[in-house]
This record gives sequence, structure tokens and C-alpha cells, in this order.
Amino acid sequence: MLKDISLGKFVDTGSALHRIDPRVKVIMYAVYLVAIFMISSPAALALMGIVIILQLLVAKMPPKVVKSTVTPIIPLTIFIFILNILTIKTGDVLWHKGFIRITDHGLNKAIIMSVRLIYLILSTSVMLTLTTTPLKIADALEKLFAPLKIFKVPVHEMAMMMSIALRFIPTLIEETDKIMKAQIARGADYDTGSFLNRVKGYVSVLVPLFVSSFKRADELAVAMDARCYRGGEGRTKLNPLHIVRFDILAATLLVVGAVVPVVLDQVIR
Amino acid sequence: MDNVVIAQKAEFSYTSVMADGLKVARKAIDGLSLEIRKGSYTAILGPNGSGKSTLAKLINVLEIPEAGSVTVFGVDTRDEDEFWEIRENCACVFQNPDNQIVGTIVEEDVAFGPENLGIPNPELRNRVDNALKDVGIFELAKRQAASLSGGQKQKLAIAGALAMQPSILILDESTAMLDPNSRDEFLDVVDKMRRTKDLTVITITHDMSEAARCDDIFVIENGKVSMHGSPSEIFSDDYRITAAGLELPTHIKLTSEIAKSVGVRLKPEQLESEDSCVKAICDLISKAHVTSAAAPRQETPRQRGRKILSVEGLDYSYDDGKTKALDSINLDIYEGEVLAIVGKSGCGKTTLISHLNAIFRPQKGDVKLFLEDRTLSASDKKDVKAMRENVGLVFQYPEYQLFEETVFKDIAYGLRKMGLSESEQRTRVHEAAKAVGLTETHLVKSPFDMSGGQKRRAAMAGVLAMRPKILVLDEPAAGLDPRGRKNMFGIIENLRREGTTVVLVSHNMDEAAAYADRICCIGGGKVLAVDTPEKLFADEDKLKEMQIACPKLFAFSNRVKCALRGLIPGVEFESPRKSAEDEAESILRACAAAVGGGTGNA
Repeated sequence: MLKDISLGKFVDTGSALHRIDPRVKVIMYAVYLVAIFMISSPAALALMGIVIILQLLVAKMPPKVVKSTVTPIIPLTIFIFILNILTIKTGDVLWHKGFIRITDHGLNKAIIMSVRLIYLILSTSVMLTLTTTPLKIADALEKLFAPLKIFKVPVHEMAMMMSIALRFIPTLIEETDKIMKAQIARGADYDTGSFLNRVKGYVSVLVPLFVSSFKRADELAVAMDARCYRGGEGRTKLNPLHIVRFDILAATLLVVGAVVPVVLDQVIR
Repeated sequence: MDNVVIAQKAEFSYTSVMADGLKVARKAIDGLSLEIRKGSYTAILGPNGSGKSTLAKLINVLEIPEAGSVTVFGVDTRDEDEFWEIRENCACVFQNPDNQIVGTIVEEDVAFGPENLGIPNPELRNRVDNALKDVGIFELAKRQAASLSGGQKQKLAIAGALAMQPSILILDESTAMLDPNSRDEFLDVVDKMRRTKDLTVITITHDMSEAARCDDIFVIENGKVSMHGSPSEIFSDDYRITAAGLELPTHIKLTSEIAKSVGVRLKPEQLESEDSCVKAICDLISKAHVTSAAAPRQETPRQRGRKILSVEGLDYSYDDGKTKALDSINLDIYEGEVLAIVGKSGCGKTTLISHLNAIFRPQKGDVKLFLEDRTLSASDKKDVKAMRENVGLVFQYPEYQLFEETVFKDIAYGLRKMGLSESEQRTRVHEAAKAVGLTETHLVKSPFDMSGGQKRRAAMAGVLAMRPKILVLDEPAAGLDPRGRKNMFGIIENLRREGTTVVLVSHNMDEAAAYADRICCIGGGKVLAVDTPEKLFADEDKLKEMQIACPKLFAFSNRVKCALRGLIPGVEFESPRKSAEDEAESILRACAAAVGGGTGNA
């Protein structure tokens, strides 16, 4: 059940997108983030959709992975959709009953927000998590934020923490699954009962999960110590980052992919 | 410099802060002295909590002795300028494969150590590639570390250690969580590395057959070295080994049982290897007059109970039918028996037992539970709850499921879910606690304050309290020391005696053979064979075909019998026995009968 979540999972298909320098990908991710929030016209949104689908195709992501990336955020999307529909009262009324009033503005906004959210998740995945290993993301962030070291920001430590957190996501998901099964064997029931009872039931999962996470953290710290980890000073890299012509080409294409929908959006308006 | 590690009267204690703010110091190492030779393969044995792992940390400068000294490569570990030197040359592989992997991708993880040492490319790349090739997982270099099997993860950990090009390799219970095949592979890799890389290997282990491979053994008890010598010296003292909570390797156990019966004391050099043990037994039997031997112990065949659970044509597949985990499994379980399910890692054992109490619902086929008054079916949604109450399932490492403030509350968790009255809960909790050997004082404790073995027993009690008709245990003794394993199987024996049917998943063939009435071999999602251990392990060709390891006792005993057949023509052996004691008697009896022409008796 929980194993199907692909959050933070790296899927190696060896595509061109996988090979792009992680720094380029992090910057491009930021570019797309802004672009997605700048556009609102249907045509621009559709174009952006095509760009993202193209990226997924280039990344050779199997449809199953794409599905499992989107599925977990469907509830949130629905929530945002309903929230927008119910709170925006301007525009022409399409339908109303009691205090519920759905307007064309509200519907429009609700659709835009939901679509943006899905785009956001997809481009985070295709640009970063699915195509870049956590260590590379951490590497990229460490390099990009290196100037902050002057202000005594512990850039290396933060990058290290992030990469370890990401590395342990699959392990902890597996563990949660195991604990839940064990508690179900003792009569726990996580699927039925009132909402409050279900939340309470999760104590029997969370407590053991926390306890074991602390134990893992302890053991990992000893293991890292034993492997002579002593901070970022003097460390070398197995796969040091190099910007090559391929990265510049890829960056250009990606920028075009982000800018065209934005320009289209501005023109339509 | 012959000794790479020298400890002199080293002391170390852990301080824990109690709930009331009181600090309690517990001595883990208490005046320990030892010397480890360069290039040796040294085993550190001892019961849980004897200070073995702390010793490893003292050697690798992860801790510093409070008194006395530890010197590695001639450098005192308290020397703050030099201690990196020690740590760089001293690599560790720990017990839990998951908790020592830093990198997401296999090669990234191997590189972590040398990266810390500041090794530049291209040497770094060479080291990583060579380390991966040395342990035989080069083809996995680009794979995700989390997706590897336990055995592969431990090989990855060794590769990570080797990439640092250490001169000492410390294995801290590195094989405890591996199945026998992976364990042998792991130890073979260690052996190979030791020979080719001139490594000093220090292994902390509970596995006596692993210790028998070493050339020097230290036994540690209460933070001190209590015994020191070669394996044959250490294992020739049966009494002290048992007193230290350890056990003899199987072949030595059988040899010394035979020696005991004929009243001869063996010399250490006779126990050096399996070959020398076979020779020693032949010598004993040909020299000693084995005309009299104890009369055969009457083993009354246990009456088979009624059928209590049946698995009928069960299929299960992952990934939308692409990977088949179970393939039309048929299996009957009878009331009052101990059934062991064995097979390689990933053969479908855990998937199968998850079906027995309807945690997994059958995709095809069915699991039926026959109660006195009715029959429950796992495919019927209405029966699921009753099924989970009647079939208790204890997963591997069940201690991770504890969560309540006290052990009492934790054991009562399932009972509360069943909606039983307070007084009924109380009775059942006490009954279950007694069955696993926990006392009143344990019940009021927090489960997180108990030792590993106690935690496991508390978790078992939580399932037992529901009074299941069938108890299913997944690797109940995994990761325990010899004493803990013995306790665990004692508990299982008692439960069986009181009428509980037990299904036991194990990858330890010796334990399956010793404690189970029947053994079910699973491979590739299919039932390969179900039979009594005596019959199953008699056919060595079939075992090989099923890729099931023969129990060490049976395998060694077969070698002995083979040798004896050459020595005493016409000797007829009985079918193999479950314990070394009985097997020794049975061999002697057969020899006596053949030598004395059948006249010898007690």
C-alpha cells in the first residue's frame, strides 16, 4: 500500500534528463515554479501541460510512475478545488442552493489552481526527484548556496541532512508498512471507525516509528563517524559536477519551454 | 610491530539518566586486556551485553577508554592528533544493513568513505570500482541501495569499508541479520579479502561456526576477557563455553558427546577441523571397547492431531500480476504440531504466513481455519476478524511494534481491541507474560527500557494474550545470542506442550530440524516438499535440487557415518536424531551392535 508512493523516489531510466547537471535542474525547477504561477489562461496552461508531458516522455517515465506521483496529491487537489469554488463569490452565479453558490469566476479559479498544483508536482518530480538522486540534489544545492558560507550558513551540513532524509524515505515507508501489518495482526483497524478513532489508532504506528528512527539515526551517526565523516572540509567527490555544452543546450531548451507559455499568456491577456 | 591492537586494563562505562534525573553508570568494559596479532582473523565472542560492541568502538576510536589504554598501530587512542590515523585504517561493518548506508546509489555509498578521506579522482573512481568488483556486486553499481537484498546490502557495506583501504576490518555482528546462504557468501568474501589484502579481521559474532573459521578467539564476559585461545582450545572446554552463554559448533558438539560417552577427554588439536573431528571419532570408536551402549531411548511417535488449517490452491502476485510470489500453494496444518517453513530469502515464506491470518487476502484459492464449531475462510470478509484472533502472527523482529507506556498495556492492546473486560484482560496478560517468562516487575516497566530479548518476548506475549489456536512466528530467534535462542525455543516447546499449534518460519535449518515435527520447503512460490526432518534431510540429492541446506548436524553426522562404514563393515545406522546427544548415542549403539555381533547391551 504505502510502497506505491513515489515521493522522493529516484527512477533510473538513463534518459537525457537524468544526465543534465543537477544545478541546471534546480535552477530550471525554480524557473518552472515561477512560470507555472504566472500563467492563467487556458491556452497557456494547455501549452504548459504539453511541455511537461514532453519532459516526461524525454525522461522515459513509465505511466505507472507518473500515476503514483500524482495519486497522493489528488485529495489535496480536490480540497483546493472545493475551497476555491466555495469561497469565491464574484462573477456570474452558475448554480446555488442554500449558502452554496458557485460562480464562473470561482469555477475558473478552482480549475486553474488544481491544474497548477498538479503541474507543480509533476515538474518537481520530473525535474528533480524522479531524475536526480538525492545526493546529486544535495550536491547541487551545496554548490549553488556555497556563497552563503561567508555568512556562516552551514551549507554543507544542510545539504547532507537533506540527502540523508531523502535516502531514508523508502526505508521508513517500508518500516511503516511493517509496523502497520504487525498491529493489524494484533487487532488494530486503520480503515474503519470514526475519523477521530482512526487518527488515535495511528499512535500505535507513530510511536514505534519514532523510536526506531531515533535508533537508526544513532546507528547511522556511528557508521558515518566510522567512515571518517568530518564535515565538508577536504571532501572530494566521486562524480564532481561539470557544466558541459550538453547542459547549456538542455538549459536553453528548458527555458524556452517555460517562457513560451508565459509569453502566450501575456499576449492573450 | 606484531600486535595491531593492544588493550591494557581498559575501562569504559555508559551513563544513562533515569526518569528521576539520577545518573546511573554501567560498566561495559571493566579492566579488559587483549592483544590482536597483525594479519590474524580474531573472533570476539560473548553473551549480549558483555561489552563486545563497545570494544569495537574503543578500537575504532568511536569511544575513548576512561581508564587503562587501547593502542592501535602503536598509537594511543587518546592521542587527539593521531586518532584520525587510526580511524582511517580501521573500517567497520555493523549489524543492521539499512542503518549504515549513506548514499542513495550503490557507488555513491561506496565512495562516501574515500570522499571523506579526500581521495582525488581518478584514484577515487578506481577504488570504488575495485571495491565493488572485489565483493562481487559491480553490476549493481548504479542500483538504488534501498532496493538491494539484505545480503547485498552487507556486501555493499564491506565494499564501502574496503574502498577506504583499511588494514583492520571490524565486523560487528555483521552476519546476524542474514540468511545462511548470504551469510556464507559474506564470510567467503571476508576470507578472500583477508588473504588478498593482508587484512586483520576482528569479528564480533554469535555464530559459532563463524568463530570456528577464525584463528584466535577471545571470550568476553562482564567487560573482561574470560577465555583466550585457538578455536580448538576454546571449544574443547564444553563446560565453560556453556557457562559463558555460548555453544559449541555442531561438529565439535557431536565429537565431544561421543568422547563423553566413551569416557575419553579429547585433545584440542583433535578438534581443529571437521576432518580431524571425523578422525577423532573413528579413533575413539576403534580403540574404545564400544561393546555396551545405552539402550535406545523410546521415542513415541506423536499422534497427529486433527486438521486445523488448510491452504488451498493459494496464489499471490505483486505488481498487477507480473511477479508471482505464491503459486498454487497447498498445505495442511494439524492441531498440536510444530510446522517449520523453510526456504531461501524472497521465496515467498513471509507472503505465505501473512495469508494465514488474513493480513493478505487470497487473490485466488483460500485459507480455511477449522474451529470446533465452525469453519472460517480468509476469502470471506465476515470471517477476517475471527481469523486474526485465532491465528496469532508474530512478524520478524516483533520488538519494533511495541508502543505503549508499560509492557502490561502493550500486551493488553489486542485484548482491548477485542473488547474484553478489564478483569479478563488482566488474567490473560498475566497468563501470556508467564508463558514467555516475563515477571510482574517487567509488566510495569516501559517496553523501551528492556533488553532486546525481553522486548521480543513482550511482543510475543501481546499476540499470545489473544489465545490464538495457531501461533505463527517469523524468524523468532533472529539476531539473538545462543542463550536467547535457547530461551526462545524453550518457550515454543512449552506452548506446544500446552496445546498451541505452532508454525515457524526459519532459515536456520538446524533449529528447524531440532524443533519441528514437520518441515515445509518453499521455493519460487511453490511447496517443494513437506515431511518430517528425518526423512526430508535423509535425501541429500533432493535437498540440493531444492537448494535447501542440510542441517549442520545431519551433514556432519553423515560424514562420520560414511567414515565408520569403512571402519566397521556391516554397520547399520538408524535414521538421524534431532539433537547431538541422541545422535551420538545412536551412532555408538549402531557401532556396538556391529562390533559385538549384536550381543552388546546395557
